[in-house]
Amino acid sequence: MWFQIFKFELQYRKARPATYIYFAILLLMGFFAMGTDVVQIGGGSGLVKENAPTTIATMMAIVSAFMMMITSAIMGVGVLRDFEHKTESLMFSNPISKFDYLLGRFLGSFVVVVFVFSGLLIGFMLGEFSPWGGGEDKMLPFNAWNYLQPFLYFVIPNLFFSGALFFVTGALSRKMMIVYVQWIILFVVYQVAVILSREVDNRELASLLDPFVFSTINNVTQYWTVSELNSQVIPITDVVLWNRLLWILVGLATLVIGYFSFSFNVVRSAFFKRSIKESKSTTNTAMKIPYVDAQFGVSTYVLQIFRQTKFYFKYVVKSLPFLAIMLFGLTLMTINSFFVGRVFGTYTYPTTYLMLELIQGMTIFFIIILVFYSGELIWRERDVKINLIQDSLPMPDFVNLISKFFGLMLVFVSTLLFLIFSGVLIQTLKGFYKYDLGLYFTTMFTDTFSTLILFSLLAFFIQVMVNNKFLGHALLVLFFISTLILGTLGVEHNLFQFGSAGLGTYSEMNGYGHFFTSFSWFDIYWFAFAVFLFVVSVLFAVRGSEAAMKFRWSIGKLRLTKPILTFGIASFLMFALSGCYIFYNTNVLNSYATSDAQEKLQSEYEKTLKKYELVDHPNLYDVNLKVDIFPENRDYTAEGYYMMNNLKDEPIKKIHVQLNRSDDYHHEYIRFDRGSKIIESYKQFKYYVHELEEPLLPGDSMKMEFKMVYETKGFKESGSNTGVVYNGTFFNNSDFPTIGYNEGFEIGADDTRKEYDLKPKDRVLPRDDERGLGQNFFGGLSHGINLEIILGTAKDQTAVAPGYLQRSWEEGDRKYFHYKMDKEIMPFFNIVSARYASVKDVTTIDLNDSTQQEVNLEIYYHEGHEYNLGSMMKGMKDAFSYFSNNFSPYQFRQMRILEFPRYASFAQSFANTVPFSEDIGFMVKLEEEDDVDVTYFVTAHEMAHQWWGHQLAPANVQGSAVLSETLAQYSALMVMKHEYPEEHMQEFLKEELDRYLRGRARETKREMPLALVENQNYIHYGKGANIMYALQDYIGEDSVNVALRRFINDWSGIEKNGRYPTTIDLLSYLEAVTPNSHQNILNDFFNKIVLFENKVKTASYKPLENDAYEITINLDTKKLEADSIGITTEVALNDLIDIGIYGQGKSGKQELLYLEKHRITDGESSIVLTLDQKPSRVGIDPLYKLIDRNPGDNIVPIEQGSD
Amino acid sequence: MTHFVDHNKTTHMELQIKNLSKTYANGVKALNDISLAIPVGMFGLLGPNGAGKSSLMRTIATLQEPDAGSITLGNLDVLKEKDAVRKVLGYLPQEFGVYPKISAEVLLDHLAVLKGYSNGKTRKELVHALLNKTNLWDARKKNLGGYSGGMKQRFGIAQALLSNPKLIIVDEPTAGLDPAERNRFLNLLSELGENTVVILSTHIVEDVKELCTNMAIINKGQVLLEGNPLDSIASLSGKIWTKTIQKAELEEYKKTYQVISERMVAGKPQINVFAEFEPDPSFTGVEGDLEDVYFHQISTSETAIAG
Repeated sequence: MWFQIFKFELQYRKARPATYIYFAILLLMGFFAMGTDVVQIGGGSGLVKENAPTTIATMMAIVSAFMMMITSAIMGVGVLRDFEHKTESLMFSNPISKFDYLLGRFLGSFVVVVFVFSGLLIGFMLGEFSPWGGGEDKMLPFNAWNYLQPFLYFVIPNLFFSGALFFVTGALSRKMMIVYVQWIILFVVYQVAVILSREVDNRELASLLDPFVFSTINNVTQYWTVSELNSQVIPITDVVLWNRLLWILVGLATLVIGYFSFSFNVVRSAFFKRSIKESKSTTNTAMKIPYVDAQFGVSTYVLQIFRQTKFYFKYVVKSLPFLAIMLFGLTLMTINSFFVGRVFGTYTYPTTYLMLELIQGMTIFFIIILVFYSGELIWRERDVKINLIQDSLPMPDFVNLISKFFGLMLVFVSTLLFLIFSGVLIQTLKGFYKYDLGLYFTTMFTDTFSTLILFSLLAFFIQVMVNNKFLGHALLVLFFISTLILGTLGVEHNLFQFGSAGLGTYSEMNGYGHFFTSFSWFDIYWFAFAVFLFVVSVLFAVRGSEAAMKFRWSIGKLRLTKPILTFGIASFLMFALSGCYIFYNTNVLNSYATSDAQEKLQSEYEKTLKKYELVDHPNLYDVNLKVDIFPENRDYTAEGYYMMNNLKDEPIKKIHVQLNRSDDYHHEYIRFDRGSKIIESYKQFKYYVHELEEPLLPGDSMKMEFKMVYETKGFKESGSNTGVVYNGTFFNNSDFPTIGYNEGFEIGADDTRKEYDLKPKDRVLPRDDERGLGQNFFGGLSHGINLEIILGTAKDQTAVAPGYLQRSWEEGDRKYFHYKMDKEIMPFFNIVSARYASVKDVTTIDLNDSTQQEVNLEIYYHEGHEYNLGSMMKGMKDAFSYFSNNFSPYQFRQMRILEFPRYASFAQSFANTVPFSEDIGFMVKLEEEDDVDVTYFVTAHEMAHQWWGHQLAPANVQGSAVLSETLAQYSALMVMKHEYPEEHMQEFLKEELDRYLRGRARETKREMPLALVENQNYIHYGKGANIMYALQDYIGEDSVNVALRRFINDWSGIEKNGRYPTTIDLLSYLEAVTPNSHQNILNDFFNKIVLFENKVKTASYKPLENDAYEITINLDTKKLEADSIGITTEVALNDLIDIGIYGQGKSGKQELLYLEKHRITDGESSIVLTLDQKPSRVGIDPLYKLIDRNPGDNIVPIEQGSD
Repeated sequence: MTHFVDHNKTTHMELQIKNLSKTYANGVKALNDISLAIPVGMFGLLGPNGAGKSSLMRTIATLQEPDAGSITLGNLDVLKEKDAVRKVLGYLPQEFGVYPKISAEVLLDHLAVLKGYSNGKTRKELVHALLNKTNLWDARKKNLGGYSGGMKQRFGIAQALLSNPKLIIVDEPTAGLDPAERNRFLNLLSELGENTVVILSTHIVEDVKELCTNMAIINKGQVLLEGNPLDSIASLSGKIWTKTIQKAELEEYKKTYQVISERMVAGKPQINVFAEFEPDPSFTGVEGDLEDVYFHQISTSETAIAG
């Protein structure tokens, strides 16, 4: 019997056009995603091919998740349809069993869903042969299995469990709304998985939970290299398998529950039976109807709007989907709140702006409410079928629509208030009481609320105009997508991006700063436009039973009363005028270029000026500037001179001056101390060649004077300068004129270069390149400068630049600071200015030669950010002490840390000056005792750059970042090592290892061995930290320090060797201190890409008689060598690897009871140890010193053996 | 701000429908050159399902646009001055729904606000009176979702009477009412009909006969007959003949005579035939009633169209 029903279902669907429309949508989607660049769904990047098996799997997972609306539309109505069409009495009175009915309907619908989604499969496959595809560069040869495998294992199970869920909820609730709610539930589970994935330790759980396997695929392939991504399908083992089984089981369980709960009766018994009190009739049918006059006028309209608004508001907030959406949103927010502001496994203080970021993460829920309820509200009367009554009431046409809009706005207002309350609650629960209610309200009720207003008005407009609820929903979603596509098609200007007003980043130092102005104008612009749309909606809203456009047009004309006309024209004028004003600001006062235009300019720069890359330039050795900053206008002027000398053997006749290319800067003069004229002028690049009347002879010096003005004019479309702001100015010397061709302006990405007919480009010069060896990594401009700078700023601000403060004075409402450095520094300096509070301290360093050095320590911070000043001070003191003793004395007698706004999150080391972002360090909150103190570490790292970078400047060749960043990482790790137990280091090293492994999987060019690193963060920070930690562990901290001491002593400054050092030089010092037995690890660490797969297979212990324990550990070890695109080959194993055993230490806490190196030579081996304490966990390389591809399986719990 | 209804303009008004036509997108001619003059009082609109009654009523109720023609109510152009018409209109559509989770009293009050009764006190009196009048007072606190078909219909009537209407349009109001409710409702309407234009559409001939001073029969969008029910009945006097026949003979009779209606009496078909003279002695002459008028008009128009 069920087969009959099954067949009937198929036949029914066969006749439905929707089936084919869905199929076609998916087919086209697959085709365009694979075959063109128009639709991009998590496609391959860089070297990963567009049809790599993993890329296909990811795309399929994403599409099957997003297209769940199709699944719900088909599966949800499987049974529901009978209720909607009121045919349930016919069906249920037939002699069919509940089982047959449900099974037939379910299987029938499911087969249809699978058919529909096979469109995706076919579309993808066809896309590979599309003429607009990437071609061989971006495509692998066709392989059907790469498509079938994810379809079978990911898409079909997804369809099954989501289909089961939709089918059952539809059948039980008999409401389509409830079916949609399931969609949101699944989305929330997915979000939870995404949140969990942020923490290395939670990724396994996230992979298991994600219903769409999206996080699962991500996490499983997180460390896969390019060649693996291109060649392997996702293995259906371990967590992937468990995930699939879990969700299939969820699907089956849903079906079983559905079967038992489904009632085969037409009338459902109500959950609550209300008893109706019978009372005596008091009706008086003879009562006379009083004659009451109706009132028509403003006060009545106000009352009508008020009542209607309340009515719609109550309807929304009492409806189940709204409550469900809010509930899920809050659940998600609560889960998210545990992770808010996490950096390197530590928390930051839950400041109001972090709470706001958390709340704004709920935007997707607002959008769902907006899309869904705009349709529901517009159709409210018609859905209830009271429309004919209501439409014939004597209300003005606008009352209804405006009330619906107000009702929805009231929903949003109360939701926002509730969210603010939640934010405050979360802060309170986290023990943070500095609520910034003003910030809560300004952000929520300007930025967030205005977006909601704009999109609600748009949604109403679309719903009214298309006059079909579901088409309206679809169009709205399409609109959201099309705005994205518009951007990729080059229509980027915010004047064309609906609702594009945004407040930007909040900084406690600078508030919303200058963002507020442009936000306000764009908001006015779009608001006026949206109001205009609303007026059109009022004119064309369907009232009565006439839906044909022809009649709506003629009725609309009748509705065009004078006030409405005036209002419409006014809003349109406001739209047009504000648009003009914005255009004047963004495109006339400021220059506007699309990203394509920007790239084109870059490519022309290279094509035109590359010929000058190798011409001789003078060497800069002295900078003397007066910089006047006007924070309130965001302007500054810089006037002064450069001293330059000729270090070459030939006279220099031509000086190539590169001025700041941005239009915000203009240069009043560039003068030399001798006659000169401009002989070549490239205005579009602001590149000028000056010819000197008297050439600069070898050994001679020359002065170049200049004055430049940076002026903020109006506001920009985007990319406003966050360097010069009201409070928290921070910029560096790259603003000022430079000499010669600047390679940094070239386009970096090879893909993009190809579009402009440029050859692929090496990132960095090779280690033996003469030119590279003759320059330090700050660039070719100079070998070191004397710096003298006078800074002027607003009276209430402090301005700082490298050097020692000579004098500071006030003049009118301005304040001036005179800085001068008493020795040469690297040609790299910064300028900051802000309203600062400061703390000062002095540290006395005992040097090796039993002398002492005093260093003044100062921290300039934003008032209220006192939390971690202690850590910073201690970081500076400990770092100076360690580095001075182990490397060389500190070259300055002062160090200053300066806070700057969180427009960027880094700290940067200049001579005796370290600007430090508000976002890191200052707001870190250490919650648990074993949290890594990031502030302390970053402080130590930046201090280390005073040595690695400023004392010893690497040559501008491959591996330069090892000498600056990797050595700074090492130095900071050593400072930390003396402060924390080794177990704490593990937390830190694990994050760095994760950074490396994830980074190499995303490499777009080629992975380099550490010694040849080409500015690849994941290598010189991530891998570097692990390698250097391992190195000092293997050959001893003292030996490493001896090598570094010799290195810095021999290589600081260019004078001693006539060139700058490279990693070859560093390695020679390290080799000298490494015993022969360990020479091979130096090679493995620096010159190769070596990876381990270390794993404890099993571990067990048995108690011995004398309170000791015998521990047996079975190990699985593999050593691999990778090439630059990640192809790995196994190599012979003969390495010393840590074996660690954890247990309860004397302090009562879990700690390492045993940590020794064992020589491992076989892939499988076992180790037997005796320990006098009870073990709890066992690990191979438990502190992650070696680079391990699967760090998750290094440590396992130990169990008591069976015998 | 209060605007009083201009009594001069509204008290003695007549509804004039001239040459009204409407063809739907699917090609159905709902209204085909309809002209009617409807004076104050009860006006019955008779016609089979799909005759165009509802289309006509929606058009009068400002909810639909005709392709051609005009409607005036007194001095008001109904098609243009929609707002002015709505202020004096009471409309009960043929089919309507209600918010299930709201009580009759609350919804009626809400609708009253939308009708322009912004004075809370008088509005309350009005709502109470209407609930009493429609016999819903006892059930006023009950959610409308729990109302029976008849109660819902009475609620519909209550809201139609909200605005002291000068023009009441009720579309098939007695459908679904039991006989007692139907009587009560018709009485209520006839009370109002004394100084109001009341248009009552129905396919129940009895309703019209009992209440209306004027009526029109429409079919396929055309007016077949307009006039006083009694006059119409008189015009058939001596022209209606009846006979009980065998089932098998029915087709034969239909070919031979103008059979205007047939009904089963004790298991056998009894036919009514329209003829100027006695068709043959086996027929008995009967006094026609409004139903015969109706059927006669319908069958004549059908034949005309078919022929």
